[in-house]
Amino acid sequence: MPTLRLLAILQTDCPTCRLITPYLNKLAANATPIAAVSQDSEKDTSEFVRQMEVRFPIQRDPGFALSKRLEVVTVPTLYVLDENDRIVRQEPGFDKTALNEIATLLGLAPVATPYDGAPASKPGCTSRHLEVQTEDAAAAALDLHSPRGAKASSIQLADSDDPYEYCYRAFGDALPVVPPTAERVEKMLRAAARDPQEVIARIPPCYGEATVEKIAANAVMAGCVPEMMRVLIPLARAVADERFNAHGVQATTHFAAPLIIVNGPVRRELHFNSRQNLFSNTARSNSTLGRALQLILLNLGGARPDAIDMSALGNPGKFSYCIAENEEENPWEPLHVEHGLARDQSAVSLFASEAPHGVSEHNARTARGVLKSISYALATVWSYRACMGYEATVVLGPEHVHSIHHDGFSKQNVREFLFENTGVPLRCYSGDDPGEGFAQRGLYKEITIDGEPCYQKFRAPEAIKIVVAGGTAGKFSAVLGSWASGPRGSQMVTYPI
Amino acid sequence: MPTTLVNPMNERAPQAAPAAPRLATLQGKTVALLDISKPGGSVFLDRVELLLKQRYGVTSVIREMKPTFAKPAPAGVIEKIRGADAVIEALAD
Repeated sequence: MPTLRLLAILQTDCPTCRLITPYLNKLAANATPIAAVSQDSEKDTSEFVRQMEVRFPIQRDPGFALSKRLEVVTVPTLYVLDENDRIVRQEPGFDKTALNEIATLLGLAPVATPYDGAPASKPGCTSRHLEVQTEDAAAAALDLHSPRGAKASSIQLADSDDPYEYCYRAFGDALPVVPPTAERVEKMLRAAARDPQEVIARIPPCYGEATVEKIAANAVMAGCVPEMMRVLIPLARAVADERFNAHGVQATTHFAAPLIIVNGPVRRELHFNSRQNLFSNTARSNSTLGRALQLILLNLGGARPDAIDMSALGNPGKFSYCIAENEEENPWEPLHVEHGLARDQSAVSLFASEAPHGVSEHNARTARGVLKSISYALATVWSYRACMGYEATVVLGPEHVHSIHHDGFSKQNVREFLFENTGVPLRCYSGDDPGEGFAQRGLYKEITIDGEPCYQKFRAPEAIKIVVAGGTAGKFSAVLGSWASGPRGSQMVTYPI
Repeated sequence: MPTTLVNPMNERAPQAAPAAPRLATLQGKTVALLDISKPGGSVFLDRVELLLKQRYGVTSVIREMKPTFAKPAPAGVIEKIRGADAVIEALAD
C-alpha cells in the first residue's frame, strides 16, 4: 500500500476551516502524516492553533506561493498526496462523507458521525489569494468551533441573600429555580464523567458555549437528577444542529417551541412518562428535561422573551415540552427506528411545534373513520388555506392505534392515508380578501377528496410524523403543527443517547 | 454558611459592532433593498425604490432577496449588497 499523506489549506477566520479542524485533530491523533498550511499571519495562525488546540504541524504560506501553485479556490481544501507528491484526492469545503472516505484512504477509522452536532456538509470560503481586497480592517475571527470553553465563574452569596430570590433577580427566569450551588453542580459533573470545560454545542441565536459545566448548572436549576446528564449532552447537540434551526425557532413571532420526544430504554431507566397525561406535569423526568432545555436556550442561547424571542402569543411548551413515545402500545416501529436507530438504542428527537390540538373520536371504529377525523384537524395546521409549506406530528392515542392496527394499517399506510385525505376545498379560495395561502396556490396540487376538488395540504407523506403516546383509556389523539419546515425552516432531528 | 453558585449564564461578552456612519445625503448614492422573502415585502420595496429615486436622488438600487426568512442571510446575498452606501431591509409581513 503506498504511503499517503494529508495536506490541508486553511484560513484562520473561515468558519468552515474552524469546523473541520477538530476532525483533522482526530486524524492526526493516529500519528498520520498530516500537515496544514495557513494563509494568514503568524499572529492569527498562533491564535488559531491555541483556540482550536491544533494537533498537527501548521506552516504559513508567504505570498500564497503554495496556494497559487495548487490553484486553491476554496478553503479548506484537503489534498491526499502520494510519496511522489501526486494528488490522489482533492476535497474542497467540509463534507463528513468525504472526510470518512479520506480516513479510509489513510487506513484510519471514520472520524465523523451524523450525531456530533455538525452539519453533513458546509461550503468553504474563497482562497485568500483570490479575495477582492477591501479597505476595511478584517473583523476578528468568530470562535465557534474551539473544543474547550471558559470555566464558569463562581458567585458568592451573602448570608443575608435568599438563594431563590437571588436566582430570580440575577438569572431572570419567571419560575423558581433550584439554586445551582457548587455542590449540586459537582454531582451532575460526576454523573456526566466528562471534561467540565468541553464545549458540547454553541446554542443559537447568541451561540453561548454549552460546556458540560454550564449544561450541568442549568440542569440543576431545572431540578434534573444527575443521571439526566446523559440525555442532556446529546440534546444540546441536537438543538444546535443546523437542520433544526434553533436560530429561527427561538426568534420567530410564531408559536413554535422545541418539543422533545424520548424513545428507547432510557424511558424506563429514568422514568419518563409516555402514558396518560404525558403533556402534563406528571413525571419529574419529562418536566425537568423540558425545563432544562428551555433554561439552556434562554441562559446560553440568549433568546429571552420580549428581547430576542418576540413570539406574538408564545407557547405553554416554553415552560417545558417533553414527551416519551409509548412504545409498548405501538404495534409499528417507534420514531427513532424510523430515523435509522436500533430499537434498543435510546434517543431524543426535536420538533419545532405548536401546542397540541386535541382530536376526539369516540364513534368511529375503523382505521379510515379514525384517520378521517384526524385529517380534518391536520387541514388546519398553520392556517387552513396554507398548503405545502408545513408539517405536523400526530400523536396517536393507544385506543385509536388499536382501531387503526386492527384494520391492518402499517405506519406508512397511516401516513399515506392522511396525506391523501387531508386537503382544503377549492371553494375556500374565493372572496374579496382571499387570505393566507391564496397567493401560493399555483404551487399546490389539486386532488379529489370525497368527490370534492381540494388542494392537497402536505407536500409529501413524510411531512406527517407519527408518534404513539398517551393513556389506554379515552379515544383521543393530538395534532401538533410545525413552524416553517424543511430545509428552509426547521427539520426534525433525532440523536442517539 | 455562605452559598457559592456556579454561574449558569453565557459569560462571553457580546462583540460590539459600531453602526456605520450616517449618510448626510442620499443624492447620488447606491442603496440596497433586502427582501427577506416574506409575503408583501416586494410590494413595499417597489414603492421604497420609487420614492428613493424620485424624491431623494438615489442613483442606483440593488435588489436582493434572502432564500428564506427563517434563516440568516447566506454569505452570497451579503456579498452582493456589500458595496452599497446604505441597506434597507424589509423585515416582516
